[in-house]
Amino acid sequence: MAMAALRREGRRLTPIIYSSNVAPRSSFIPEEIAPMGARFISTQILRNRMKSVKNIQKITKAMKMVAASKLRAIQVKAENSRGLWQPFTALLGDTPSIDVKKNVIVIISSDKGLCGGINSTSVKIGKAVYKLNAGPDKETKYVVVGEKAKAQLIRDSKKGIEISIAELQKNPLNYTQVSVLADDILKNIEYDALRIVFNKFQSVVSFLPTVATVLSPEIVEREAEAGGKLGSLVAYEIDGDETKGELLQNLAEFQFSCTMFNAVMENACSEQGARMSAMDSSSKNAGEMLDRLTLTYNRTRQASITTELIEIISGASALTG
Amino acid sequence: MASNAAVPFWRAAGMTYISYSNICASLVRNCLKEPHKTQSISREKVHFSISKWADGKAQNPNSCVSLAYLII
Repeated sequence: MAMAALRREGRRLTPIIYSSNVAPRSSFIPEEIAPMGARFISTQILRNRMKSVKNIQKITKAMKMVAASKLRAIQVKAENSRGLWQPFTALLGDTPSIDVKKNVIVIISSDKGLCGGINSTSVKIGKAVYKLNAGPDKETKYVVVGEKAKAQLIRDSKKGIEISIAELQKNPLNYTQVSVLADDILKNIEYDALRIVFNKFQSVVSFLPTVATVLSPEIVEREAEAGGKLGSLVAYEIDGDETKGELLQNLAEFQFSCTMFNAVMENACSEQGARMSAMDSSSKNAGEMLDRLTLTYNRTRQASITTELIEIISGASALTG
Repeated sequence: MASNAAVPFWRAAGMTYISYSNICASLVRNCLKEPHKTQSISREKVHFSISKWADGKAQNPNSCVSLAYLII
């Protein structure tokens, strides 16, 4: 709407300025450019525009406040949730470069927009991981969490999408919810390695795109026997009646739900942080725009007053003289 | 020893470790006394919509509303 008003304003303003500068001031001015006898530029359009910019600034300021208060609540939770995956990384290590046949890339994004570039970052990283793991005898699929990443992936890689999930943040995020989600993903998809792409929260202005890898129990066993990074796993004794396969399966499932929980929390936290800084800069921009408009408005007003004064004074002096 | 004996049963019933542990967690929450009980049960709300895709198109979304159905 604002753009339309601006365009209309531009169309109407130019001929008036032109005619008042060049043409003699008389009734020669055509009817459609300005009303009969009008000598000044109407400031009403400018006033309306100032009003709308002011309203937009109010909205962005309010959104910034909301994001700031949500961020504070979720930041603590996100930082605490890091304790869930750290023991797993200590035990199983992190192996992002592992080469397996069935790759599942879980891209985490937000449902709502206006939060800077965090969603496009995770989509970009997800696509890069896809390219790294694609091959003639390999199956690579996407699992998309959040509306925004889905909207971006639909454009060029909708064939690869296997599951999409939305409306995760209707209620406050909790572990039960994310674990049910992780369970649904595990039941519906076959995988050798799950690669979770998300934005890790560092500070309000910096988010680190991160890939967390969860391996299937078979791959963990294969890697442990082959030595390498997971070789130390053989040294552990297993307590109780469980076989190693059962234990590793339980472990892999629990690891996935924990890593998912942390990823979702970190991404939600980054979303609020990004929204906060985006809204901060947009209120600043609205303020600058308002300053410019006010200046133009005042100048125009001053010019018309000056013209009127000159007319009155010269008229008076013509009468006396 | 009871937990060791139970392992094959829930796995045989088609449950994963995650759903098994969620049910256990829910039972523990139900054992709490009142002010803590409602608090911790409110952390059990599950809501999201999931849709499977085939050939680049989304099938009908089915939303998962609450875990309570799972337990009863």
